[in-house]
Amino acid sequence: MEILVLAKQVPETAEADLEITRDGADVEREDLVYTINEWDNYAVEEAVRLKEEHGGAVTVLTLGDEEAEDVLRRGLAMGCDQAIHLNDEAFLGSDPATVVRAMVKALGGRRFDLILCGVQSADQGQGQTGVLLAQALGLPYASLAVGLKLVEGGLVITRELEANTLEEVALPLPALVTVQSGLNQPRYVSIMGIRKVRGMAIEGHDAEGLDLAGQVGPEAACLAARRLSLPETGAGAEILSGSLEAVCARAAGIIREKGGLK
Amino acid sequence: MPARIPFWNIEAAWVFYLLAALALALFGLGLALNLARWRPGFAWGGFRAARLKAVLADALLGRRIWRGDVAAGLMHALILLGFLGLFLGTCLVALDHYLVSFLQGRLYLATSALWEVCGLALTIGLAWALVRRYLLRVPRLERRPADALLPAWLLAIALSGFLVEAARIAASGADWERWSFLGWGLSGLFGPASAPAAHAVLWWVHAGLSLGLIAWLPYSRLFHALAAPVNLYFQDEPQALADLSLPPDQVREFSHRHFLALDACTRCGRCVEACPSARAGEPLAPRGFVQDARRYTRLKYSLLARIPWLRQRQRQELSTRPTIDPAQAWYCTTCAACAEVCPVQAGPIELIRQVRSSLVEQGSTVPPLLAQSLERLAKYQNPWLAKKGQKAAWAKGLDLPDLAKGDQAGLLYFVGCTTSLDTRAQGLAKGLSAVLEHCGVEFGTLGKAEPCCGDIARRVGENGLFEEQREDLSGLLADIGVREVVTSSPHCHRSLSHDYALARVRDGLAGPLPFRARHYSQVLAELVDQGRLVFPDGLAVKATFHDPCYLARHTGEVRAPRRVLGAIPGLELVEMADHGRNGLCCGGGGGRMWHELPGQGHLARARLEQAVATGASLVVTACPLCLIMLEDARKAGGFEDRLAVRDLNEVVCLALGLEGGANPF
Ligand code: SF4
Ligand code: SF4
Repeated sequence: MEILVLAKQVPETAEADLEITRDGADVEREDLVYTINEWDNYAVEEAVRLKEEHGGAVTVLTLGDEEAEDVLRRGLAMGCDQAIHLNDEAFLGSDPATVVRAMVKALGGRRFDLILCGVQSADQGQGQTGVLLAQALGLPYASLAVGLKLVEGGLVITRELEANTLEEVALPLPALVTVQSGLNQPRYVSIMGIRKVRGMAIEGHDAEGLDLAGQVGPEAACLAARRLSLPETGAGAEILSGSLEAVCARAAGIIREKGGLK
Repeated sequence: MPARIPFWNIEAAWVFYLLAALALALFGLGLALNLARWRPGFAWGGFRAARLKAVLADALLGRRIWRGDVAAGLMHALILLGFLGLFLGTCLVALDHYLVSFLQGRLYLATSALWEVCGLALTIGLAWALVRRYLLRVPRLERRPADALLPAWLLAIALSGFLVEAARIAASGADWERWSFLGWGLSGLFGPASAPAAHAVLWWVHAGLSLGLIAWLPYSRLFHALAAPVNLYFQDEPQALADLSLPPDQVREFSHRHFLALDACTRCGRCVEACPSARAGEPLAPRGFVQDARRYTRLKYSLLARIPWLRQRQRQELSTRPTIDPAQAWYCTTCAACAEVCPVQAGPIELIRQVRSSLVEQGSTVPPLLAQSLERLAKYQNPWLAKKGQKAAWAKGLDLPDLAKGDQAGLLYFVGCTTSLDTRAQGLAKGLSAVLEHCGVEFGTLGKAEPCCGDIARRVGENGLFEEQREDLSGLLADIGVREVVTSSPHCHRSLSHDYALARVRDGLAGPLPFRARHYSQVLAELVDQGRLVFPDGLAVKATFHDPCYLARHTGEVRAPRRVLGAIPGLELVEMADHGRNGLCCGGGGGRMWHELPGQGHLARARLEQAVATGASLVVTACPLCLIMLEDARKAGGFEDRLAVRDLNEVVCLALGLEGGANPF
């Protein structure tokens, strides 16, 4: 089985103290650490597991600058066989449709039985790349997968819907699936593991090589970030202060009052 | 003239030679199979007298066996010396028979008497071994059928030997045979008429059993008799440090040192009794782990697998038979209690580290929380917070020189991740800063730029990360020109001194490390010795000291913290049941601070129970991890009214009346 998996490099923001840049259009990236988009990590793991179980090969693809290569090396260390890097500063700030156009060009007619990617990215969170790519390649797709089973003639996907509902859908192959977090338990990637794949070749493409010069990046995007802001502390929030004991007692009291403790 | 007539009364001696040849062939094959496993990577490294001395003391005299268990030491000494005596005796007889004849007259009589003593020692030792195992039922000994076989076999050889002798004496009746006093005493069992026939039968039984033992030896647990001395000889050679010069795909799962240690294990179970994890009822079984690894590696690296049809069988067995249980490896706290008590230096700590390395590299069975901590460690240089720049927050307002920013000071205080970031452990950092300042010691830190020393990565088997962090920190220290380092944590201290030095040797660099790293307790003890740290006022409290494993065992430092506590007037120091090099681990080492495991035991609670039993009201320790673990157990285990837990620095501050995060107890 030939699998393609899309992976994006994003800044880790979950526990960082974010600051907005002076022009208000981005966050300060100086102190941020970059890593693979969490959802894509599940997708890579799933792809590698499918390969380990059923044979075949996995190709991992990313779009970004030079630094984004880390994501590909990580994917190779996890067990992917090939890597494609749409490597150009010019790609940064592109909208999802442009990203997909570039990917389709770079793939140049290559066929895969299955394409996996995260349901969304941690930085932009638009959740469009996967489904747009399915459209562009004319593939059936399922989104929000929390379960994936290979069966005779295709896939059975468990999708996570609102309010704890799960939906099972069947898809013929080839297909594209966007992956929700929690689909599996991604493996740890050791530094030695990454060192081992240091020498593996990576297929590179830039905007010019794909005949996309001038048609990518913020200028070509159909949307632009104007102003970012951090959420204000709302009126409903109450900051407890005092000794540890007092804070804990007050917190327990509130939980009890609101019916959280019976 | 008194002398031994070999093959007296024995017909068809050629049968004996045939059997002997067969036994030796099997012995040789077994030996070759074992040596083949030891060979790759094996380096003799030249003769070293100190190593030989260690072998003589530990193997021949059984120094490590006597230690802590005199009854076992006696048993082993009787068996070993009896066996060796008889073995040498047999060699002498052979020499006498085949080469030069010298065993005659008085010399022969004296030797015979000595053999009797050896035989007696062997018999008593074996009987004692069986009594310990089956009547006294010493808990750490196993009682599987196979465990009775070896001593019973040896006993049968010894007893049949005496009977052969008795029958011979009964048949020949020479008066000088009195020298073989036991055989002489037993000769009454045989009538003169039946003696020759009985002698022949017993002789063959004795010969058969003895040859059988030789053939079986390299395959049995008795092989420790050969492997243990070799392992002890190489005990100072490190078992594992990732060999970075090899291409990654040629890195072997285990090194020759692991194989040697596995073959040396005698299944004595001392590690089981000492292991804090096993004691707390966790799934880790140190002896079982060693034995599983032994079985697995014997199969996997067998020379016989070169033969195609045996390779088939090997593959099959490897895939069906249970092998090493990787889940167990995560429970080890790397406390080194097993290494401390193991008589043959085969305790599984290094083996476990090696298995962890394989698991980390493979990736999918690393416990999720640990994986998360490791990722943080790589990205943020600490396993605690996903934030850079928090490392210096504890020192706000202290105005310490920042050596990374070019400030000068003769001593670098390497604070460490846990001490700088955990609110409880920060008491240690504040305390030490106050004490050093009080004594007029100039020191600085690396401030925000302080990276992780690599201890956690190394203990959990993330070798690549350890190497990266070691390179970063070594580079930083070299740039600044640091010569003296003091650490909060015995863990950082162990990495900086021992593991960095190992890497230096591995990388072929000459000379010692460019800096000397010490644990803070050693610096404080020196200040006490120099009269710079004195306690005008006392501190009336009954205290007990919890030895951090990385200080007491890994570094061998048990004196320094006691020296400091002993200098405080009014402080009465009492010891717990397990203390010093035999201290009981709090459960925080080896990466366990940073993850949770199914069926996790209450290691620190067990330790506090020992502390309560001393009647002390204060537990002092000298490690941030111990401090956190014991403090948590104190709160969770209901010890709050009975015990206080403090870092040594906090106690010193209190005795001096200094501010330093020290609360009275
Ligand atoms: S590893 Fe050492 S202590 Fe443990 S059973 Fe083997 S010989 Fe005994
Ligand atoms: S190092 Fe400590 S925890 Fe690990 S096996 Fe040895 S005794 Fe047990």
